[in-house]
Amino acid sequence: MLFIKRYLLPRIVQFLVVVFVGITIVFFVPRLTPVDPVQQVISQITSQGAFMDPAAVDALRQSLTELYGLEGGMFQQYFAFWGRLIKGDFGPSLFQFPTPVMDLIMISLPWTAGLLITTTIISWIIGNLLGGLAGYFKNKAWAKTLDNISMVLRPIPYYIFSLLLLILFAYLIPIFPSAGGYSVGRRIGFNWAFISDLLIHSFLPAMSLVILGIAANFMTMKLIVSNIVAEDYVMYAKAGGLKESTIAFKYVIKNGLLPQITGLALSLGQIFGGALITEIVFSYPGLGTLLYGAINSGDYNLIMGVTSLSVIGIAGATLLVDLIYPLFDPRIRYR
Amino acid sequence: MKKSACIIVLALLLFITGLSQVAGIPREETLIVDVLSGRAGSPGNFNVFTSAWRNPDRGIQQLILEPLWIVDPTTGEVINALASEEPIYNKDFTQMTIKLRKGCYWSDGVEITADDIVYGIETAMKYTAMGSHDTFNLNVKKVYKTDNYTVVFELKEPNARFHANFIDRWGGWRPFPKHVFEKVDDPITFDFNPPISSGPYVLKDYDQAGYWTLYEKREDWERTPTGMLYGEPKPKYVLFYYYGETSNKVIAQANHNLDMTDLTIEAFRALTQRNPYTRAYRIEYPWIVNVDPCITGLTLNNEVYPYNIKDVRWALTLAIDIVDYIGIAFDGAAPMGVLHLPPTPYYLKVYYEPMEEWLKNFTLDIEVNGQPFKPYDPSATLRAAQYARERGYTVPNDINELKEMFGPGWWKYAPDVAEQLLIRNGFKRDKNGKWLLPDGTPWKITIINHPSPSHPSNRNGLAAAQQWRNFGIDVNVVTSESIQDITFFGNYEVSTNWPAPEPWGGHPDLDRVLSPFHSRVYKPIGEYAVQNGPTSRWTNPKLDKIVENMEKIDWNDPRNLELGMEGLKLLIEEMPTIPTFGYPGVVGWDEYYWTNYPGAENPYTQPYHHWPNLKYMLPYLEPTGRK
Repeated sequence: MLFIKRYLLPRIVQFLVVVFVGITIVFFVPRLTPVDPVQQVISQITSQGAFMDPAAVDALRQSLTELYGLEGGMFQQYFAFWGRLIKGDFGPSLFQFPTPVMDLIMISLPWTAGLLITTTIISWIIGNLLGGLAGYFKNKAWAKTLDNISMVLRPIPYYIFSLLLLILFAYLIPIFPSAGGYSVGRRIGFNWAFISDLLIHSFLPAMSLVILGIAANFMTMKLIVSNIVAEDYVMYAKAGGLKESTIAFKYVIKNGLLPQITGLALSLGQIFGGALITEIVFSYPGLGTLLYGAINSGDYNLIMGVTSLSVIGIAGATLLVDLIYPLFDPRIRYR
Repeated sequence: MKKSACIIVLALLLFITGLSQVAGIPREETLIVDVLSGRAGSPGNFNVFTSAWRNPDRGIQQLILEPLWIVDPTTGEVINALASEEPIYNKDFTQMTIKLRKGCYWSDGVEITADDIVYGIETAMKYTAMGSHDTFNLNVKKVYKTDNYTVVFELKEPNARFHANFIDRWGGWRPFPKHVFEKVDDPITFDFNPPISSGPYVLKDYDQAGYWTLYEKREDWERTPTGMLYGEPKPKYVLFYYYGETSNKVIAQANHNLDMTDLTIEAFRALTQRNPYTRAYRIEYPWIVNVDPCITGLTLNNEVYPYNIKDVRWALTLAIDIVDYIGIAFDGAAPMGVLHLPPTPYYLKVYYEPMEEWLKNFTLDIEVNGQPFKPYDPSATLRAAQYARERGYTVPNDINELKEMFGPGWWKYAPDVAEQLLIRNGFKRDKNGKWLLPDGTPWKITIINHPSPSHPSNRNGLAAAQQWRNFGIDVNVVTSESIQDITFFGNYEVSTNWPAPEPWGGHPDLDRVLSPFHSRVYKPIGEYAVQNGPTSRWTNPKLDKIVENMEKIDWNDPRNLELGMEGLKLLIEEMPTIPTFGYPGVVGWDEYYWTNYPGAENPYTQPYHHWPNLKYMLPYLEPTGRK
């Protein structure tokens, strides 16, 4: 009971407040920009050349404003939005009217989730393991080599690195496709032909994320472990004659992982924002380009849909970490 | 051990390479083209008849929709597609009749008749979210058929340009099948999937993530306007693929996985180093497409001081050395345009050449050496050619060829005259030669610019800034993704929006260009302007009169051409916006699998893959036979 009152409840309240404030901000911010979704649609219709009498343009603007529910004050729209959101409805996309926002998100979400969850977990595991070992065995030649490689990779801007992979393996040695999520003519299905095709198309985007992700996790973990190895309990374990591998894994790396778990949860929470640059460089489908297009076209509802999921994702991941942290850290459990 | 490792790696590479091919579609029978407007947001929705954006250039408008009429900016023709002849108006333009081409069929075997047109118009008028809903409700009193191939519109008011709503020029009202749409509950939410086609292709497959769409040639292609007018399209399949960034397009075409694309001039140069089969619209410099019906330049806000002063607008014009300007913007490769019309070969013939004498004799209200100043400089073409030669490019000597390449002339570079114009309005220079406003404060121009560095608008902004800085004005260039919204609300001084709305490209009628400048569509700063021209907030009673007279006569009436010239002359005299060069489109065509693209040496149709006219290009393409 005390756990619920003193630990669980405050965190749930905090989660709800963060979600409420976050969603409120993302509701108002797009509306304060000069981008007008109605005008964006009209511009898209007319900019390439279709004829429209100026009087008809004015009438169309009025019709679309009504149709999109953009009439009335900002607060009127705000309350209507919460009314819809409670029912799990983000409304129709304004630019793709009347396609529901959730339908558009569901087209892109599996791609983003598949790519980012896999690459985040792989790079977290490998990066932390190698970083932990390199931090503990810092004088070994392999540890120094890994350290040097990470120091070279880590500062490379992601855009440059992904472009480098693209040019190298899609052009100079063209063994991977340069664009897309799967081959033209291939049917999506749970079969080897599609799965292998999907893996091939995802390989370069995944590698770009995994390699830089490993480098980032490696360096952070190495730094954490470098501090832990100087702790008294590690010295004591060494003096006690425990095996190096036991000290490394059970005393050092295990403790070093605690802050990294928080990082992992936040990274997983961020997947709803997509990986914009990856998607642009590799023409890979996902939420990033969906959100980018929505911002450019002033598609308020779609912006709200994607960013609300992102806010909920990050806040939810933080809550989850808070709740499961006692499992990893006995100090919190005992408190 | 090493040997087996090598074998494993080799096998893996072969496996991977095998998987990266297009699955089950013969490459040599497939034309692969890029998608201009990006990844499809709702890829399973082919209902482009609503007012929502559905990426029609992913093959929908190019292959599976035939319009009533379509304009071709290369040949200058307005082509009768589903219509068998031009629109027929009654005497007072309150009635318009459309005659339909007989023997055209939807891809499911149902004949295309007047019922489809009548149903389509009535549906558009009924549903707010249908495309052209407001246009038709403003104009149409009644629509009916008199037989299976004749549709009559009774209009609420006389309107000699009502047919313009049906001319496909990257958009326009296109018929959809009554027998399909009348069976659905809601034509707005209907996804029209699979789409029933009036064009020579049908949908075969599409990417559920929105990157590609594949079409297959109809077996009965001869029952479409494309087949009837131009014959059998050559590619069995056409694949529209959105490759995204320019680097991806370059890689794809270098690997022969992309036949037609748009590029930047820098990307095109890089590509030619990698792919000997790549060509542009012109095989040699200046490479660019010179038939794009769009004029680029600078828009001045005529409601903001000092751009509300005609002398200032002209001074800014004369402070530009156009050869240097286009050199900065496009290494000299874009055609200069002195009129508020693009200098395409068609408009050179219809407007530029007939107006050349007037241009030569046109004077500004200022004297130089005791003579009225004549600002037109026909020798700018030769200067542009000389610039190109000095840059090491080979260009012809024939003046007519040069005019098509570089444009027929522009305004003189006359900073001395510009200075006189400013001084007589109270401007002065400080001790460093920098211009001051009449109140003594420094004159600083802020140009709001397009954010993409490869976009012609962006290049205009950079070139103008350079020119005006050379002249002594402090210029600040601000790029913004929201340029359209900012400028349409009028919150700017100078922008790089098009200086005039785009013309048809293929008919002398300039109502499209001039009517948006009419005072009836004027919006003060703070209210949204309707199109590019009105963002300048310039109006003029003389122009109102020209537009009103234009709208009272048939667009084929010879007086229409004269009125068009009058309008252009007025725009020059007032110079509310400054046209600089025609849109320099850069296309990359790979001749590895297909040849006979409509390049400058054989311009049989418009050259863009994203225009709806692509279907009329396909019968002319030739397979090379390479596998």
